[in-house]
Amino acid sequence: MSALEFVRKTLAYAFLLLVTFLMCFPLIWALSTSLKPARDVMATPPRLIPSEVTFANYRNLILGKEQYFRADQTYVPTTAAPQHFTTWFANSVIVSAGSTLISIVISTLAAYSITRFRYWGRRIIPYFSLLGYMIPSIILVFPMFMVMSGLALTNSLWSLTFGYVSITLPFCMWLLWAFFRGIPIELEEAALMDGASRLRVFVDIVLPSALPGIIAAAIFSLIVSWNDFLFARVFINSIENLPLTVGVMHFFEGVHVDWGLMMASAVLMTLPMAVLFMLMQRHLVAGFGAGAVKG
Amino acid sequence: MTIRLEHLRKSFGPVQVLKDINLELPEREFITLVGPSGCGKTTLLRIIAGLETASSGTIYHGETRVSDLAPGKRDVAMVFQSYALYPHMNVFDNIAYGLKVRRTPKAEIEARVREVAGVLEIIPLLERKPKQLSGGQRQRVALGRAMVRKPWLFLMDEPLSNLDAKLRVTMRSELKRFHLRLETTTIYVTHDQLEAMTMSDKIAVMDGGEVQQYATPEEVYNRPANTFVAGFIGSPPMNFLPGAALADGELSLATGSGARTVIADSPLAGKASREILLGARPQDVRVHAAVADRTFAAEIVLVQLLGSEKLVELAYGSGAVLTAQVKADSPLKAGQKVWVGFDPDKLHLFDPDSGRNLALESPRLSDPA
Repeated sequence: MSALEFVRKTLAYAFLLLVTFLMCFPLIWALSTSLKPARDVMATPPRLIPSEVTFANYRNLILGKEQYFRADQTYVPTTAAPQHFTTWFANSVIVSAGSTLISIVISTLAAYSITRFRYWGRRIIPYFSLLGYMIPSIILVFPMFMVMSGLALTNSLWSLTFGYVSITLPFCMWLLWAFFRGIPIELEEAALMDGASRLRVFVDIVLPSALPGIIAAAIFSLIVSWNDFLFARVFINSIENLPLTVGVMHFFEGVHVDWGLMMASAVLMTLPMAVLFMLMQRHLVAGFGAGAVKG
Repeated sequence: MTIRLEHLRKSFGPVQVLKDINLELPEREFITLVGPSGCGKTTLLRIIAGLETASSGTIYHGETRVSDLAPGKRDVAMVFQSYALYPHMNVFDNIAYGLKVRRTPKAEIEARVREVAGVLEIIPLLERKPKQLSGGQRQRVALGRAMVRKPWLFLMDEPLSNLDAKLRVTMRSELKRFHLRLETTTIYVTHDQLEAMTMSDKIAVMDGGEVQQYATPEEVYNRPANTFVAGFIGSPPMNFLPGAALADGELSLATGSGARTVIADSPLAGKASREILLGARPQDVRVHAAVADRTFAAEIVLVQLLGSEKLVELAYGSGAVLTAQVKADSPLKAGQKVWVGFDPDKLHLFDPDSGRNLALESPRLSDPA
């Protein structure tokens, strides 16, 4: 390696490192704050490395102990006590997993049908579905509230599940449609010749071939429903039915904000998606890649 | 049992792809459907497979009508042009899939897959995924998947066209060997007339959704039914020389500015005079350095060396051209004046309007009665 190349590479990596740090800074700051004792949170000058690492915020979130507030005289007991955190977390998991499951099952079958069967309108459906995705949620949320209200589903996890399905299903279907088109029809014909039924062909041949696309669609759907704030804010009014995104807002209490709890929540909220992302990254890239090229 | 196709027709919208196909395919034979792209050969194969439905017509297997059965119920196996190996399954599972679907006992699946893999010499590959295989290996796996079920009919859709030229020649003889060994009736689709000639017991030459000729390779080559078959089968392609005529028991050719040269005795019985479209394969054109009986003058335009032969392009008369094939050591050069004649027994006479081979309508003199 020549000296010039060495310098160039060093500079390049230094630059990349800087960009990475800037990108990750909010996360790093959240993690740092969540581990700080209360006195460090608002310290001037701000310190990135806590003077002392404490897991009190996490303990209190997960165990939901209200005594924490009584014992520490600097805090005022709040109505939105952290004892709801595990409920909110569970709500988020249920609603995200539920809406993703429904979206994936329906969109997989729908996309397969559009790619493989001939019927009126099958060419415009995918584009039409994308159109629905382009309408901002804020426009959809109030009409949908009326619908949910008519169905007597407001303030239930069902309203969120169906709400998210209405956003993610069309996009998942579009993504999978692009994906299914890339699967050679000869594969299915070969299986038909081998004596398999249509359903068997779908399960044995099509689904495994489409797995990267299905994983990509599932991750997309999980992220959308996990991160949603708007629907939850509008549809839910009792504290125990909230998902994390809106629930955590209850740590704003008048003039007082418990930043430690907020940041610990933020970290715990990010963690499942981050882990999922790392596990599925390979499939995700393949999935989006295939969709992009063949779509 | 023979397979009979009766009055098969197929249209895609307004486009008629198959027009009244009638064929009888004898048991244990290797039958090739050959023709240019768009002639309907693949569609015909897919209809026999059950992957397409004919617009009308019937397929019989022996006396059983199979045209309404689902592909899986016809017990035929198909080798696809793209091989269509299941990408997520290893070679063993690819071959075993058809047996698994049919709920064959595990021990039997194992035994039969190993047997087929042994024949195809792919036992070391059984654990591999398709993407880890070369083209030739994939081809064998695709064959194995078809063979393992011991179907009564193999359908092959251009199975060699994705292989490089050298491998194609090897696989061609290998396919033929497998067929001799298994004796399973095989319908093979190709656009390559050489494959059709070398492998088949019978060839159906197709064009425009119709079978132009259905006969043995020898018959198709030596007695093509019409100008299409004559031009399609054989390489380099047959010369078609307009301006030939039969008169007084002689065959003459217009060789420029009103001149006619007698090139052969009339190969047809009967003395009737008529216009002829003359067909002569380059192998049957004789090029002489000096004037000889029943030859006409021509000039060499181009000489192409093929290796063991040379192709000589000749211009004669007023702008007519024909190609001759001569030995590679022939001293012929471009620009040379030569005299051209024909092997009189190998000439093909066609009706200038219908393109039909006249020899098939009235017997040749040289044919044994």
